[in-house]
Amino acid sequence: MTASQVLRKIFLVDLLKGLALTFRYQHPKEIYTEQYPLQRPQVAERYRGAPRLNVNPETNETLCIACDLCALACPEHLIVVSSERNPNTRRKELTNFTYDLSRCMFCGLCEDACPTDALELTQDFELASYTRDGLIWDRKTLEEGPEPTVYKK
Amino acid sequence: MQSFLEYLKSNVTPGQAGDPLWALIYILIIFGGVSLVVMSMNWLERKALAHMQVRLGPMRVGPHGLLQPIADAIKLFIKEDIIPEGADKLVFWLAPVVIVIAAFTVYIVVPFGPTHAVTDMNIGLLFMLGVASLATLGVIMAGWASNSHYPLLGSLRSSAQMVSYEIAMGMAVVSAVLMTSFAGGSGFLGEIYGTGGANPAGGTLSMIGIVRAQEAQHIWFVFKFFPLGLIAFFVFAVAMVAETNRTPFDLPEAESELTAGFHTEYSGLRWSLFMLGEYAAMVAVSSIAVTLWLGGWLRPFSSWHGPVITLDSYWQGGAVDFVFSLFPALLFFFLALVGFLGVVRMPKHPLFRVQTWGLAAFALVLGGIGVVLLAPPVRDRVQDIFWFTAKVAVFMYLYIWYRGTFPRYRFDQLMRLGWKFMIPTGIAVLIATALVGVLA
Amino acid sequence: MSESTTRTDPILAFEEKKDPTFLDATELVLNMGPQHPSTHGVLRVILKLDGEKVLGTECVIGYLHRGVEKIAEHRTYAMFNPYVDRMDYVAAVSNGLGYCEAVEKLLNVEAPPRAQYIRVILTELNRIASHQLWLGTHALDIGAMTPLFYTFRDREEVLKIFERYCGARLTTHSFRIGGCQYETYEGFEQDVKKFCDFFEPKIDEYEQLLTTNRIWVQRTKGVGILSGPDCKALGVTGPVLRASGVKWDLRKAQPYAAYKDFEFEIPTGQNGDTYDRYLVRVAEMRQSLRIIRQAVEGIPEGAIMAKIPKVLKPPVGEIYHSIEAPKGELGYFVVSDGSTQPYRVRVRPPSFVNLQALNKMVIGGLVADVVAVIGTLDIVLGEVDR
Repeated sequence: MTASQVLRKIFLVDLLKGLALTFRYQHPKEIYTEQYPLQRPQVAERYRGAPRLNVNPETNETLCIACDLCALACPEHLIVVSSERNPNTRRKELTNFTYDLSRCMFCGLCEDACPTDALELTQDFELASYTRDGLIWDRKTLEEGPEPTVYKK
Repeated sequence: MQSFLEYLKSNVTPGQAGDPLWALIYILIIFGGVSLVVMSMNWLERKALAHMQVRLGPMRVGPHGLLQPIADAIKLFIKEDIIPEGADKLVFWLAPVVIVIAAFTVYIVVPFGPTHAVTDMNIGLLFMLGVASLATLGVIMAGWASNSHYPLLGSLRSSAQMVSYEIAMGMAVVSAVLMTSFAGGSGFLGEIYGTGGANPAGGTLSMIGIVRAQEAQHIWFVFKFFPLGLIAFFVFAVAMVAETNRTPFDLPEAESELTAGFHTEYSGLRWSLFMLGEYAAMVAVSSIAVTLWLGGWLRPFSSWHGPVITLDSYWQGGAVDFVFSLFPALLFFFLALVGFLGVVRMPKHPLFRVQTWGLAAFALVLGGIGVVLLAPPVRDRVQDIFWFTAKVAVFMYLYIWYRGTFPRYRFDQLMRLGWKFMIPTGIAVLIATALVGVLA
Repeated sequence: MSESTTRTDPILAFEEKKDPTFLDATELVLNMGPQHPSTHGVLRVILKLDGEKVLGTECVIGYLHRGVEKIAEHRTYAMFNPYVDRMDYVAAVSNGLGYCEAVEKLLNVEAPPRAQYIRVILTELNRIASHQLWLGTHALDIGAMTPLFYTFRDREEVLKIFERYCGARLTTHSFRIGGCQYETYEGFEQDVKKFCDFFEPKIDEYEQLLTTNRIWVQRTKGVGILSGPDCKALGVTGPVLRASGVKWDLRKAQPYAAYKDFEFEIPTGQNGDTYDRYLVRVAEMRQSLRIIRQAVEGIPEGAIMAKIPKVLKPPVGEIYHSIEAPKGELGYFVVSDGSTQPYRVRVRPPSFVNLQALNKMVIGGLVADVVAVIGTLDIVLGEVDR
């Protein structure tokens, strides 16, 4: 062992270097914690969160054309699209749209498959529910979003 | 009232004065103080460790988690008391009691100041080491009584570790005691070191006597016979971390290893007694280290008094003494300032109103204590306690710092370190100190 | 049924003997059960001990078996893609890469160069994230608590980039068969460069904290030695193999996905002990940074998706394609029978094969070393059990 190695061993240089590092990290600017209810995490735009059925903002009509592509694309087969054919316009119109959020793995294949911009996975990630049925969303919840109870106190 | 003020002017410990009332009062103060220290150690450990780990630690229970230890204590008290079926009930009950008694009894001789100890036995140091060793018995009892092989293996390991490092501690301690008996000398080494040679007053094992020896020799023993004092101090510092089962020697209580330690089967209040005993033992061995090597209650540069100055009726004495005497109050003012800074930076959310006011009140209390410490009678009496406590606090922070930085030793490596490195070094330092002292 | 479990389960067999003086027995059978703070996932290890020395081990797995390969037989090729992330959930991007490349080989298409560069960048970021988790948990097993938090902080930065790119942090589903679904977002190159600059000094910090630390060296040098020939005999791959001295990396030996365009080295070790594996993985992180920097400089323009039919029906045949996942050689054996759903997808998980080396590495060591060795093998039970 060289002289410098011996000296490093005797004077515990390696241990002191480690101690210096942890000491330096005590500075408040290094703190990485986000205090959750006050500071909500900023999720990205492409975040695959809660699904939403978009509506046309002016006419309030749904953008969904009931093509059933999303249901076919879903690996878990949890989307059920029910529609009826409008005798006047000869087009399919959406009646009900069921999305089982409890089995969803948020893979985004339904969002990719949708030809219009109707089905979209939004940035909402706070999806807890007290019941299993509460996670099976119908068309109304999908369009308006879940209404979480806001506690004042 | 008269006897109270009379007593305040005494300069012997209650033990020496043969005063049982004051001895009792001191004991109660020490008991309460150590419990308070344990609780604040709990908080400080969580906060300091968290800051080293780029996170925040407890923030919710009370402002910045200040009430967290109280919440933890309440939770532990109201927990269900589980005793394993095959456990030996008496021994199971007795084990934490033994540890806590062993940990708290040593505080009888811990010198917070020249007269601020319950008593000053002339074998004080020996008493401390002996009673601290009783904790090992408690550990074995805990492991045995649990009737489960994980705690048994853990307790055997832990007790083996504690016993081995006690020997190393003993060697280091003896070399410090030797230094008390080497006071003045005129030999060759005495010229270099300025001290050494037989002390006409003789060496002493009494804790207060050791500090007085450092005071008389105008040197803290950590610097005496350099580097021997330093090596002895280092040996003791490592051994005391191993003695109290803290990182990097905390294999017996490591959660990620196989045996979860001797206190696995203990829950609720009993477990909190183990924790209490562990922290109290940490403070106890730190106070041994502080007394033996770091000058006990002496302030830094205790022999330097400076020119005499007079400030009305407030101060009459050395200037340097005056500056140092303001330190306790200044410390509390600084803490109050930090508290107010925290108040200012609290989130301005209605949910945080109670916490903000609480923190402000706490900071005010700290400031108030600082103001009280400026009053001359309190100021003079509190100097020794303050410096002693400050040094012990540094050691406590070192414990937390080690925990945040080092990995832990494997058990065989731990034992090898203790037997093959610490004990030979301790013996070598002992012999070297003796030689240097005699030749000086 | 109970008969056979009594015969095979050593714990029950030991208890059957009902030896009251278990302290006198020369052999102690100890169960490191599925719930344990340090086995990374639900792994049950039954140890045969002589005091502190380990005489033998037996791993019991299957607590996380979810039937992924069976699910594959009932999903179309594109539908199976999200399931693949959940096997090695720590490093999900490489799972996706292996599967997509395997099916692309079956279809005989190649992803366009821009997609390949994006794939390389994300896979190398994913390698860094996986090694960071390994470093944090391995240090925690050995006793050092703080590197865990530091490495998870760095991992956060990588996961933020993943989130911005494809929408999910952990189970990314980032690639599609034929290329990438998502175009790089606005500011992708800047983010990646910023991460590289942020991360490089952090590796130096971890080295400062651990590499020369005498306690760390004592705990990891000479522990869990696995020689080169033993590695090859057991089929161990990845950093474990490279630390034993064998210079084998699929990125250089059988290049895939644009790796031949980049310059990087393969770090190897000499002794095959835990310390060498630690050094190899840390060096791999540095090499990953090198690859990422080169890739980000030279992303070509162009399409990100190859021309593949909407309904994927690969021709009848079978293919085995493997990639260098952070944990070793991750292989996919896909058998197609001409329909839209694969006939069989067999995954060769690196952790499963590496786990077989546990017995050899641990015999003769102490109990505390078992934990260190499990950590150094870097196993993820999601992969072992599938």
